[in-house]
Amino acid sequence: MSRKPLSRRALLCRCAHGFGGLAWAVMAAEGAASRAVNPLAVQPTHFPPKARSVIFLYMDGGPSQVDTFDPKPRLDQDHGKPLPIPAPPTQFNDNGNVLRSPWKFARHGQSGIEVSELFPHVAACVDDLAIIRSMVADQSEHTAANYQLHTGFAMQGRPSMGAWITYGIGSESQNLPGFVVLDSGLIPAGGMDNFGAGFLPAAYQGTLFRPGAKPIANVEPREASPELQRAKLALAKRLNRGLVARLGALPELEASLANYELAFRMQSAVPELTDLGQESRATRELYGLDERETAAFGRQCLLARRLVERGVRFVECLTPKLPGHDRWDQHARLFEGHRDNARATDKPIAGLLKDLKARGLLAQTLVVWGGEFGRTPMSQGATGRDHNPFGFTMWLAGGGVRGGTVYGATDDYGYFAVENKVHLHDLHATILHLLGLDHKRLTFRFSGRDMRLTDVHGEVVHGILA
Amino acid sequence: MRTPALALAVLIPGTLLSADPAATEFFEKRIRPVLVERCYPCHGPAVAQPLGGLRLSSREGLRRGGDSGPALVPGDPDASRLIRAIRYTDPRLQMPPKGKLDSQQILDFENWVRMGAPDPRSGESTEAKPRNIDFARARRHWAFQPLQATPPPPVRDARWPRGAIDRYLLARLEEKGLRPAPPADKRALLRRVWLDLTGLPPTVGETEAFLADASPQAFARVVDRLLGSPHYGERWARHWLDLVRYAETDGHEFDQDKPNAWRYRDYVIRAFNQDVPYARFLTEQLAGDLLAERRVTPDGLIDETTVATGFYWLGEIINTPVDTYQALADRIDNQIDVLGKAFLGLTVACARCHDHKFDPIPMSDYYALAGFLRSSRLRQAAADAPAVTERVRAALPDRPALPAPAKPALDGRYEVFEDFSRPDFGSWLRTGLAFGDSPTGGVAHSGRYGNALTGILVSRQFLIKQRYLHVRLAGRGLVRLFADEYTNGVRTLRGGEEMAWKTIDARMGQGNLAHLEIADLSPEEFIAVERIVFSDAKEPPANEGPTPPPPVPIRMAVPPAHFAMATADGEPQDVPVHVRGNPRNLGAARPRAFLTLFSGGEQPPIVSGSGREELARRLLRDAAPLVARVMVNRVWQHHFGEGLVRTPDNFGLTGDRPTHPALLDYLARRFIEQGWSLKQLHREMLLSAAYQMSSRPAASRAELADPRNELLHRMPVRRLEAEALRDQMLAVAGTLDRRLFGPPVPVYLSPYMDGDPRSKPPGGPLDGLGRRSLYINVRRNYLPDQMLTFDFPPPITTMGKRGVSTVAPQALYLMNNELPHLEARRWATRVAREERDPAARVRRMYLEAFARPPAPRETQEALAFFAEVRRRFPRANPLVEFAHVLFNSAEFLYVP
Repeated sequence: MSRKPLSRRALLCRCAHGFGGLAWAVMAAEGAASRAVNPLAVQPTHFPPKARSVIFLYMDGGPSQVDTFDPKPRLDQDHGKPLPIPAPPTQFNDNGNVLRSPWKFARHGQSGIEVSELFPHVAACVDDLAIIRSMVADQSEHTAANYQLHTGFAMQGRPSMGAWITYGIGSESQNLPGFVVLDSGLIPAGGMDNFGAGFLPAAYQGTLFRPGAKPIANVEPREASPELQRAKLALAKRLNRGLVARLGALPELEASLANYELAFRMQSAVPELTDLGQESRATRELYGLDERETAAFGRQCLLARRLVERGVRFVECLTPKLPGHDRWDQHARLFEGHRDNARATDKPIAGLLKDLKARGLLAQTLVVWGGEFGRTPMSQGATGRDHNPFGFTMWLAGGGVRGGTVYGATDDYGYFAVENKVHLHDLHATILHLLGLDHKRLTFRFSGRDMRLTDVHGEVVHGILA
Repeated sequence: MRTPALALAVLIPGTLLSADPAATEFFEKRIRPVLVERCYPCHGPAVAQPLGGLRLSSREGLRRGGDSGPALVPGDPDASRLIRAIRYTDPRLQMPPKGKLDSQQILDFENWVRMGAPDPRSGESTEAKPRNIDFARARRHWAFQPLQATPPPPVRDARWPRGAIDRYLLARLEEKGLRPAPPADKRALLRRVWLDLTGLPPTVGETEAFLADASPQAFARVVDRLLGSPHYGERWARHWLDLVRYAETDGHEFDQDKPNAWRYRDYVIRAFNQDVPYARFLTEQLAGDLLAERRVTPDGLIDETTVATGFYWLGEIINTPVDTYQALADRIDNQIDVLGKAFLGLTVACARCHDHKFDPIPMSDYYALAGFLRSSRLRQAAADAPAVTERVRAALPDRPALPAPAKPALDGRYEVFEDFSRPDFGSWLRTGLAFGDSPTGGVAHSGRYGNALTGILVSRQFLIKQRYLHVRLAGRGLVRLFADEYTNGVRTLRGGEEMAWKTIDARMGQGNLAHLEIADLSPEEFIAVERIVFSDAKEPPANEGPTPPPPVPIRMAVPPAHFAMATADGEPQDVPVHVRGNPRNLGAARPRAFLTLFSGGEQPPIVSGSGREELARRLLRDAAPLVARVMVNRVWQHHFGEGLVRTPDNFGLTGDRPTHPALLDYLARRFIEQGWSLKQLHREMLLSAAYQMSSRPAASRAELADPRNELLHRMPVRRLEAEALRDQMLAVAGTLDRRLFGPPVPVYLSPYMDGDPRSKPPGGPLDGLGRRSLYINVRRNYLPDQMLTFDFPPPITTMGKRGVSTVAPQALYLMNNELPHLEARRWATRVAREERDPAARVRRMYLEAFARPPAPRETQEALAFFAEVRRRFPRANPLVEFAHVLFNSAEFLYVP
């Protein structure tokens, strides 16, 4: 599939014809013409973008940095001893002693970056990753942390970054939503507000694609046959044309008519998207589609590729649901939980990176991996780790990112970020930057303020840019 | 946090520091370069407003420090904030923010401070002056001016205006050489005003009656009838609920129910229906619990003034916050935000972390307001009308309290919080009659008059010091521990048959302020509490105590109590300024007061209680012009599509200016003069010629001259809101249940309404039992997808203006969702029963859906469609499919 963007010119042209000079005058007066008619119309960026789409691999629950991408030999030395640095209050405040990582780290790739044995497949792609080991956030508890990760604010009801981005630059797909969330049955704490449009228009809210044959609501006609639905829509269109003649060429009515055409196209675009029968054996193998452990997340990753191929702007893959574990949130049984979560996601993620690369899409697709926070270097109870927003790891790959990079550092225990700290606001600023948006200029007037994804914060992390 | 050592710093004179050349060299070599490189970007001489108010580019700046106090204590590194920050050991105070200095640099700074912090710099400081608000100047902003009485200007076309509103509008149109649009046709006007005032379409009978009434008063009669309709209150209550972030759950992780929140929704409906003066309506919400004059429901059962105060508690509540004091500050912030925007059209909450950047609202005013809220508490209150309560109380049998027996002493590990040995309840607040006027037999007993009575006891506030709370109790009522005014029950106990000790694990609440509730909410149960003790020991005391008598029934009918989510005064307290909005960084306490902008800088102190009644009084006395402007603008917006001020929640300097200032002030004056009557206001607006204009774009010249229709040269076409669309569908189908009030209907959970399973409620019926949309349970985490698709606002703060987006999921919903298909089937089935002839059926459907008969061409189209369906799709029902087509026509969704 190739991208078939409906160009701004074509769109305006069509609107101009549809509306007549009158509506055109209205739009000209309004300035930002195309958004008013088609909220997902492609918008100009502030500067040339490096990436055209984002795939966010959301590791729900908070994977442990010291067991994945941030090796800390000091934990082995001090294992079982009290942590010698002061610890802030944690969610459960049931803190034990220093807990070493059950996994070994080894150097990989040209860059020689250390990755733990939890991620053998991703480790093979390490030269494509820019690993930020100095992430910080403000929230120690899932819901608020999820809101901050997704929306910049630790509160319910703010626009998600996917919403901000599709608002900012529209989407290149005119048959699919601009912001898609791929779910395998595990909605993160905080629910759909993580993917909401907040005070932005509803057009930008994330659309949840569920697993199975009917991924989204209301795309399946209920009529006995598709022809009947077509006959009905044809009648509705004739009646609406009559209405336009009676009420005048009102922009609202024109937009509504165009909207039915888009909806009709979406009805066929969605089944086409989710029909993985077109994919080769090799591709299925690459994503681990036919292995029990990796099938769910593999399908999400493959759909993510198909979505960005079709021009969808922002795709988020949620963490798959694993029996016996609550996300990456291992307050106990760290070994089993992280082992199984890694096994479920490692191969699909590597498959996605390789597939995007092979298709020439990685250079224009930004892939982001991470959770809402990391975990403590000391144990919670005997076998778990508690939440830690003070220093954790995320990585980026693809469009505009310098692969094979390690950026920032935590202290000897992997508890606090101490070098080149990157706040979630900075991550947001960087993602926007790679898409050609200045996070200070991407604003929406609400409550008397020009609201931003980054509020009054955020600095682009230039150290990871290509 | 201030420590005594930090406070001392200001006493140490600068001259103490030596001008020793070695010390100077140390500074120049080791300290200054680091300051310049790592600190100056945010705290240096080139920064106009240094972060945290801290400037490190001069000796004075360092000594004076920033918003949090002095940055260093010469000679004492451990007491120096600067050193604490660079050591990175306090997660809340880490500088430089992007990364720790290397250990040698930290050592250098420590040594430097130990040396007395010698600093040869001087005079480099260009201290930014704190912004002083010039209130006299600020009051020149149009919205803060007194209401002007500008008579309507003369107009050339004297025939068009029907009243003052029209003359204000026409004058501006004529200035631009424009004419108002011609009148709308009667049918369009009727549908418009019905949907506008009641959110429902007119019935066929109503339409015919209106058409048959040729008198000039025909429309006025319709308006009066609709203003008298109970459905008016439903429609306009929903507008109000948008302003107060109305929801019936807490949101966040577990999305717990807010018990009895729906009574507030019913209160608002009744208030609109009864045309309660708007000033009174606001006063009740701010301070209803404190008002001497109570107002009860028409049936005499419920005390409205209590229910009104639920207003404060409709916001999001964070579950199990790690930092409960922060959560409390956030809750109060949301209350201030809503109060400021909804009542005053001001973004007061912008002054949380700094003085308002645009409006004359200093940060100190924010914390002066916060004091009212900090001094107020959420409670479940028996909201029965006083007369009802009195009647029951008077009829109760005389059951004197038994004396308290001596109670066995506890060992030293237990600290007694309450043992109910006193002859009265002391500081416990009571609501409901169940507990009587005092403890009995050393027990707080809700079964004193049998099980039938209900009631709640609420403790004073206390600090949770120990790890466990042990309660000796019996009965199936509840004991709940609430941490830090934090409104979720953190821990709940329920008693058993026998008196026994039970334990609450309070570890997660330790260090927080808290209160306890002893609640009997069921007419079938009781609760008896004998003692409440704290300890660090997990096991409860071994000692027993007196056993209360079992409940002794009374022989009288007790009406069921009505509990409501309400407000009560807590410990009166002023709130210290939170420096930079940080609740851990406290400045001076601000006495409670209303905004300086309106009530001045010298306000009488609040002498008793929370002071909310005084707050309401000052708001309505000193800010009345703004309060009136904001509300008339909201009403105008709902009638005319856009407000005269197009930023309805922001009348401050960054808001839009009114398109017709004189008209706005005229309406605000009228509103106040007519006793804050909303119905009078509606009437005047609806009977204007302007409201009755057609929406058809007339001359392209008008569209070009007034593309945003700011001059109102025609009526705008409006899209129905989410609720009105669904209600209209049910009404047209004939399946709408028009009953008012009551507990919410569980929300229907479509397979696509996903969310955190921990907060997933049991689902409700697809059609919501046919109830109007505002009775569907508003769960923060499970807002119905259809509502969100059609721009239902997230209940986060005041939303005076909803989005009106046009997105594919809307069309997909109407095309493919099961509800429109179901209602189309029901509609068609009814019409098929009532009309035999196909053309008559089409006609009936048009009348019901659009309040107009079909045009001949439309009838032909319909009949041709019937034939096509019969021919090509023999198994489909043509009328059902046609009904569904009408739901999908633009005319169904838009109101011309």
